[in-house]
Parts: sequence; C-alpha cells; structure tokens
Amino acid sequence: MAPEPPEIAIVDDDMDFLELYRHVLESRGYRVRCFGTPAAALEGMAQSRPDLVISDLMMERLDAGFSFARQVKSDERFRGVPVIIATAAGSQRGFDFRPRGAADLAAMNADAFFAKPVDPEALLAKIRELVSARAASSDGTGRKEGA
Amino acid sequence: MANEDIRILVVDDELGMREGCRKILTAEGYQVSTAADGAEGFEIFQRERNFAVALVDLKMPRIGGIELIHRIRELDDTIIMFVITAHAAIDTAVEATRRGAYGYIPKPFTPDELLLPLRNGLERRALAIEAQRLRREREGRLFELAFERSKSSTIISCMTDGVLVINRDKQIVLRNAALTRIMPSFAVLPLSSPIEEIQCREIIDLFEDAFSDGTTPVIASKEVALAGKTYLANASPVLEPDGKVMGAVLVLRDISELKKLETAKSMFISMVAHEVKSPLAAIESQLTMVLNGFLDNDPEKKTGAIERALLRATGLRTLVSDLLNLTAMETGHFEIKRVPLAIRSVIDEVIAANRERAEDGSVEITMSCAEDMDGVQVLADKDSMFMVFSNLLNNAIKYSPPPGHVEVVVEHDRTHVHVTVKDSGIGIAKEDQENIFDEFFRVKSAHTQRITGTGLGLTIVKRLVDMHDGAITVESALGEGSAFTVSLPITR
Repeated sequence: MAPEPPEIAIVDDDMDFLELYRHVLESRGYRVRCFGTPAAALEGMAQSRPDLVISDLMMERLDAGFSFARQVKSDERFRGVPVIIATAAGSQRGFDFRPRGAADLAAMNADAFFAKPVDPEALLAKIRELVSARAASSDGTGRKEGA
Repeated sequence: MANEDIRILVVDDELGMREGCRKILTAEGYQVSTAADGAEGFEIFQRERNFAVALVDLKMPRIGGIELIHRIRELDDTIIMFVITAHAAIDTAVEATRRGAYGYIPKPFTPDELLLPLRNGLERRALAIEAQRLRREREGRLFELAFERSKSSTIISCMTDGVLVINRDKQIVLRNAALTRIMPSFAVLPLSSPIEEIQCREIIDLFEDAFSDGTTPVIASKEVALAGKTYLANASPVLEPDGKVMGAVLVLRDISELKKLETAKSMFISMVAHEVKSPLAAIESQLTMVLNGFLDNDPEKKTGAIERALLRATGLRTLVSDLLNLTAMETGHFEIKRVPLAIRSVIDEVIAANRERAEDGSVEITMSCAEDMDGVQVLADKDSMFMVFSNLLNNAIKYSPPPGHVEVVVEHDRTHVHVTVKDSGIGIAKEDQENIFDEFFRVKSAHTQRITGTGLGLTIVKRLVDMHDGAITVESALGEGSAFTVSLPITR
C-alpha cells in the first residue's frame, strides 16, 4: 500500500494566506488542513495528527503564534511534529521576532521561521527537509514528498 | 534737609514770646506754627504731625508743658522738643527730659541762644532718623530673607519631583518629602549621612558624574527604575559664585506614565505596520503564485487569486484613509462644521448609497422613523454623520449572512435623537463588546474570517460621535444580531 502523502496543518487568521498555502502545498501533492484560529487548529489536530504545522504569528493576540507553538510542542500527542512560524511582522519598532540562530528558534518552539511574503520554493524545500528528517528518525520508511 | 522743609511748633501762652520765636526762626527759613496753650499745641501737632522741633513753655493753661511733651513723645519718637521757661529749676528740667524733652532754653534768650541748641537738636534728629532707617532696612531684609528661605523650602517640599542635595563631602544635606516617598529608605537616614548609604548605585554614579573631575561641571541624566516605576534622574553640580563645586543636586521625576504612553505608541505603530504588511504580503504572494505558474492548471483559481489581490489592495487603500482620518482626529486637524441638521435626511442618503450592495448580498434594509421627527435637528457635521452611519450600516450588512435583514430606527426623546442600526447578523460575544471600539480590534472567528475590514471603522465612529457630544451603545448576543444606537443632543 502506497503511503499516504504527508498532512500539513496551517493556522492563519488571514484567509488569503490559508488559500495560498493550500494552493502551493496541494500543487505538490500534500494534504492540507486550514484553521483560522489556534484553538480551532489544536482541536482539529487532536482528531488527525498532522506531519507538520505552519502558523502565523500575530493573530488574535500579538504573540498568538508563539503560544500556539508552545502548546503544540508541549503536547504529548503532537510530539515531534515540526512547527514553522511565518509572519509579516518580521521586525518592527520595539519587536524583533526574527531568530538569530538555532537557540532563538528553540526559544520560540519553532523549527523554522519565514517572513511573509513567503517564497513558495523556499517553503517547500524547508517542509521537505523537516518532514523527511522526521520520517527518517521516527519510522525509517522515509515518506516521499506528495504523490 | 533745607531749613524750608523743617517745621517748628512754638507753644507758649505769651504772644510776645510766640511772635519773637517766629521772627527769629522764619528769618532762618524754618516753617513755624504757633499755639497759645498745651491743648491747642497738641491739637496742631495731631493735625499736622510732621514737625521736626517743638519749643514748649512749661506753665500754660489747660495742658501744661510737661504733659504736652509727654503726649507728643508718645506719638513721635524723632521730634526734638525744647523746654523754654523763665522759671528754671533743675528738678523741672529733669522731669521734662524724662518725659522726652531734648533740651532746655532759659527765657529770655538771644537768637543765637535759641538757634544753636536748635541746630544741635536737628543734627541729632537727622542722625536718629538715619539710624532708624538703617534699622528698619535691616529688619526688613532679615524678614525678607526669612520669608524667602521659608518660601523656597516650602516650594522644595511641595515639589512632586524628588530632590536630594549633597555637599562637597558627599553627605546628604537636603531631601524633600517626594524623595522619601520615592525612596522610603531615606526617611530613616539622618542628614549628613554619607551618600553611599542610600545604596542605589545608579544615583551614586550620577552624583559622581555631576561632580566630575574637570573644570566644566556636567549635568548627568539617566533613567532609573525604582519600585516598579521609572524615574528620570538629573544630577547637576551646585556652584559657588567663584565656580567651585560646593555640592550637587539630584532631581528624580516620575516618568512611568510617559513610558507607558511610549509603549502604547510603539504598540500602535507595530499594529499599523502589521495591518499594512499583512495585505501587502498577501498581494505579493498571490501575484507570485500567478507568475510562477502554480495555478496554471486551474484558470478559475488563477483569476480568483488576482481578484483577491485586488480586493486586498482596495482594503489597504481604505485602511490608509481610515488611518489618516484617525490621526487627524487625534491631532485635532479633523475639521467638522456643525450646523443644524435633520438627521433623517442623512440616514436616507446612507441607505440609498448602500442599498445595492446590501441586495447583492441578499440583505434587506428597512427604515422606520418616528412621526414627529420633522423639525427635530442635531448640531452636526454632515460628512461626519454620513461616515458614522455608513460605517454602521456597512458593518450591519457585512456581518449579516444572507438572507439578512437590517433595520434602521430613528426616534427621539426630550433631549436626544436616537438612531439604531439593528442587524440579523452573527452578533458580538459579551466579552468582545467592550473592545470593539478599540483600534484594530476585530472579532476573530470562523464567521468573520471571510469578512474584510480595517479594524478602525468603529474606532472612527466612536471618535466622531464623541466630537458631537453624543454617545454610542451596543446591544448584542452571539447568533442574535447586533444593535448599535447613536444618541445625539437635539438642538433648538
């Protein structure tokens, strides 16, 4: 039986971005589930565990993406699920969210960070890397990207 | 003092004596008044007061010379009084002197015998007056000094800024009440404690900076955090007139509120940046997708992406104009011309402008207006009112899923016109209701995801209503629609 393509959960309060991610990821064969709020995402993810999560940063609160990432990382059910944070709020007066290195990424409970607008190819490359690394370390079957 | 300015009172019951004195004295230029007895003399003295010299006979009817001298001396401590008498007796002279006489001139006398002691007396008087003047001046200055001192110490103790002064040896010499409030540990430190005992490194360093080592004294300034508040601390040297440093004064000003404002301001800027960058990022991504051919196999999605990009660009333009309006309101540059206005006519216009859009979204608009609204006017700026009610109507349409219904009710009581815009929409949860007028607050839920908006509409509505001395209230429950009521005072 051919392995199912990886499933990616996306949380963003901007419908256009949900749609954009969906277009890009589905065009490469990923299964995509979109959520408008972190709460809805956590609920949906509990029913079907995704292989990777992409989250926006500034949603109902300034740092909603960070607390969402923390919740994902600390939840036993989502152990090992990589988290990508993507935001248009890269750096602004008083706030600088851009990670300087691995330690910053770890501090924000993220495996990768992208500034919006996201370069689709760069995002796809990162997803490929994170999903295959996970697949290699967990079950060794080395799921291939998409279908 | 010229003789012409010197007034002399002659009191004697003998006419010849009075006139003789007058003759001698006027020849010298003195101004002379005469009285025939003690009572008249006292009367003249009381009336005219400014006599330099009085010549007083001892034996007179009604009030005698001794009594007159006594009475005058009680009222004037610089007048020079001579006793003139033919009945010279030592004890009488002593008594007269005790009562305030300056000298004694026996009758009869030659002009010189009168004038010589008179001039001596006048000199003596001039000296006494000068001494008195100096004494008064000194007393006045002391009083002033004491007053100034208590004034400045009162001012310093009333200041809301904390003040701390140290001397050259870096000992505390002054601190005010505000300072002990800011740093309670000060209350127990006695004056002349060394500065090290305040145990606040930052403040000690500031003092060090203020003293500096060079010849040019510096004003050192720094933000200091104490007990959860932020203070701006300024230390400057206290200089002697020759420029030597004799100490330093530190002023602590509470800038916590300013800091809060600063934080709120940068928060706002961050939010604006986010609100602007998000649609831009979306537009860029949508266009990139189209250009990179991600949607080439699905023409419908391709068109959809371009349409969404256009929609976001339009939204961005609305956001910018909303922001400009809001900024203008905040800086007082948003001009409104308030004229008597029948609110009904504005509502009609707003409904007409929105009807087509509402019908496209299958939302029906109805309006009901109290029958006695004719002639009821508010003092309002027409453009502002249009902005207020089109924002409200727009929201009502946007948040009402089809088939929807929006009802506008115009009514009034004795003092106010009330316009209610009521929709059959998704409603607003209780906990969100207090935030809906905040900048950039938008209710985020599955129902609102597809609805675009700047998050500034209701903020602008509220500002405009406030500018018109009105009020806006909201009644709503999730799933049961919302009703926004604007109340504006009626003008007569």
